[in-house]
Amino acid sequence: MASAPPSLSTARPPTAASLHGGRRRGALPPLPSCGVRPPSLGGLPALRSAPLRRFAVRAALSTADRSAAPVESGGGKELLLEVRDLTAVIAETGQEILKGVDLTIYEGEVHAIMGKNGSGKSTFAKVLVGHPDYEVTGGSMMFKGENLLEMEPEDRSLAGLFMSFQSPIEIPGVSNADFLNMAYNARRRKLNQPELSPIEFWAYVYPKLDLLNMKADFLNRNVNEGFSGGERKRNEILQLAVLGAELAILDEIDSGLDVDALRDVAKSVNGLLTPKNSVLMITHYLRLLEFIEPRYIHVMENGKIVKTGDISIAKTLEKEGFKGVSEM
Amino acid sequence: MAALAFPRHIRTPPKPSSFSNKPKAKPRTRISVRSSLAPPQLGFSDPFVLELAEALEDSLPSPSSPKLSPLQRIRDASSETLLSTPWPSRKDEPFRFTDTSFIKNSTIYPVSRPPPQSLEAPPASCEETQLPQLAIVDGYIVDFGSNLSGLPDGVYVGSLSNATSESLVERIGEFVSGFDWGDLFWSINGVGAPDLAVVYVPAGCRVENPVHLRYYSAEASDEGSNRLPLSNPRVFVLVEKGGEVDIVEEFIGGDGNRCYWANPVLEVVLGEGGKIRHSYVQNQSPCAAHIKWTSVQQEAESSYQLVEVSSGGKLSRHNLHVQQLGPGTVTELSTLHLAFNEQTQDLHSRLVLDYPHGSSRQLHKCIVANSQGQAVFDGNVKVNRYAQQTDAGQLTRSLLLEPRATVNVKPNLQIIADDVKCSHGAAISDLEESQLFYFQARGIDPKTARKALVFSFGAEVVSQLPNSFVQKKVENQIRELLDPR
Repeated sequence: MASAPPSLSTARPPTAASLHGGRRRGALPPLPSCGVRPPSLGGLPALRSAPLRRFAVRAALSTADRSAAPVESGGGKELLLEVRDLTAVIAETGQEILKGVDLTIYEGEVHAIMGKNGSGKSTFAKVLVGHPDYEVTGGSMMFKGENLLEMEPEDRSLAGLFMSFQSPIEIPGVSNADFLNMAYNARRRKLNQPELSPIEFWAYVYPKLDLLNMKADFLNRNVNEGFSGGERKRNEILQLAVLGAELAILDEIDSGLDVDALRDVAKSVNGLLTPKNSVLMITHYLRLLEFIEPRYIHVMENGKIVKTGDISIAKTLEKEGFKGVSEM
Repeated sequence: MAALAFPRHIRTPPKPSSFSNKPKAKPRTRISVRSSLAPPQLGFSDPFVLELAEALEDSLPSPSSPKLSPLQRIRDASSETLLSTPWPSRKDEPFRFTDTSFIKNSTIYPVSRPPPQSLEAPPASCEETQLPQLAIVDGYIVDFGSNLSGLPDGVYVGSLSNATSESLVERIGEFVSGFDWGDLFWSINGVGAPDLAVVYVPAGCRVENPVHLRYYSAEASDEGSNRLPLSNPRVFVLVEKGGEVDIVEEFIGGDGNRCYWANPVLEVVLGEGGKIRHSYVQNQSPCAAHIKWTSVQQEAESSYQLVEVSSGGKLSRHNLHVQQLGPGTVTELSTLHLAFNEQTQDLHSRLVLDYPHGSSRQLHKCIVANSQGQAVFDGNVKVNRYAQQTDAGQLTRSLLLEPRATVNVKPNLQIIADDVKCSHGAAISDLEESQLFYFQARGIDPKTARKALVFSFGAEVVSQLPNSFVQKKVENQIRELLDPR
């Protein structure tokens, strides 16, 4: 269901990508940061995409990205995230977890990172959004031409970086509706738009619940309090749907989900994809990648990305384990 | 303070039944009571206390109406105990962490009477004025601001002296002055209470609307004057068998930094199968001293729920005593103490279970957000020999938001019965970093996140307030504390 029907893939809309088409470049050479769009365009406008546009988007993704050869990239697209030789330690113990990570993501791309437990995947995700448990000791992280290392976690979020937590924490006493309203208004302030009152916000958020097959009482419950594992994951995606993001990092969004829940989550993630929005998934399993098709798969080992390729890597992994991939 | 000498003309030897042989009709005199450095003579009259008691006695006319005889009984009993009770020091266990020298070092005088005939207290909201309410100003029950229409037949809310039913007065008389767990402040109230407010609910009667008791201290001195006018409001609640009522006690501080000492007492007697939901909101002036007693007696199968939110006062203490008089009682106590200023918030609670199948839940939460702020909790639950199959739980959680903010908690269970289910716990913390980060990761700045988390910490107690208008009011108070204008 994740891939668009064939008839749609021909209806390619004149997106920014296709208009600038023709200029090709390799996957890795960094773009000069001056070519990057102004950062003030948050994820919000994309959220209001009508269903029609979503379809077009999926079509665009499947033609512009998914049919392209894995090593080719860009097609006039803007650089979104560029990580160079990133090293990071656990702040408390000084233990080094990331030992020189390189990763480049252009807009509209879907990436996946796979790797053994303890290889540093989740740490990488947390370091990108500024988790206080980790300290960056070297390298660089640029997002839309801005230096992430100089930004507070809330500013990274407002700039369009979103991470869904692997184990979202409970916040007793704060309702989901209040939490989302607060976060959404923080974005509106950043965009110099008037804040939404709780009632206005309700009208905005209500349709998003349908997208995730969530009941309305979800909003009245306290953030993640007493939620099942599946409900927590849905809640993370609800937040993504409400807030929008140019780069959504989904840290093991599939763990603890049954097939139906996974389908719901994948459906809404796919629904959010536009030629401008990118996704970075972190997962152990091929199953998720069947629902949300990545263009690139990276294998992480001992704090580094050791291999990058297409979906065939994931298939090898599924069959032969990480050993098989290392020997490829 | 320490340099002030104690006036020499004070009599130190105790008098058997009265503090003074001066004529009772004498107009009230303002006696300035100064502190003494000398330690109180234990078991003997404390000159400071004696002076205070004398001033209180002089400030009141002796009750002429026979209807007030219950009040006279309270006064007599309290006078007697006062004579042998010294002012508490930090060496006394119940006051180990609570420094009362702020009161003792001030010039204390009883409020003048009669109470003013207009009130500067903040007006009640429209919704509130629809509800039955009793205004208690400086311990006197006043007509203005009171609205007692719409109460069911047989229910009485008002001054004991205005009660028309002889049998009611008699019935009240059966219960008063039977409490022997009190301390000095209980006795001071007993001697100084000018009137007795009564809430009476007859058997089987269910009162729909909450009875709202609004307390206000009209007489106050300016900050820095070091003078504390003392008032002693006293309320007696009697709910007969199967009766039900909601009581809202609200202590209103008013505008500005007004200094006074409120020393209220609430006594509750809850008949078999009766039910009381009691909300207590303390929002006194930041310069005030507030020492409150709440004594509750629960007959078999009765249910008492207390939700307290205290944020005002420089020194605020709540002494809570709940006594079980029969089996199968339910007691739920929830407290939220907020020390956002240079202030002390203290709860000393004691729950005594003597009969089987009782159930009790206590939740104490406090937030100290000032480096000179302090919270104190001493919660005692006593499960005596015959209180088998008791289910008692106690939990205290403290949030310290500033360096040097202090909390002293002492949750304690004393269990003699052997077939019981009891639990208790205590946790003291700062806000959880992982929760703060969750907010930040969604674009919410840490300052806003902290406020939301502090608010949510208190919400566990606030959400239990049974009446929505009280809940809204308290939420606004907390918002104002978090975001001072």
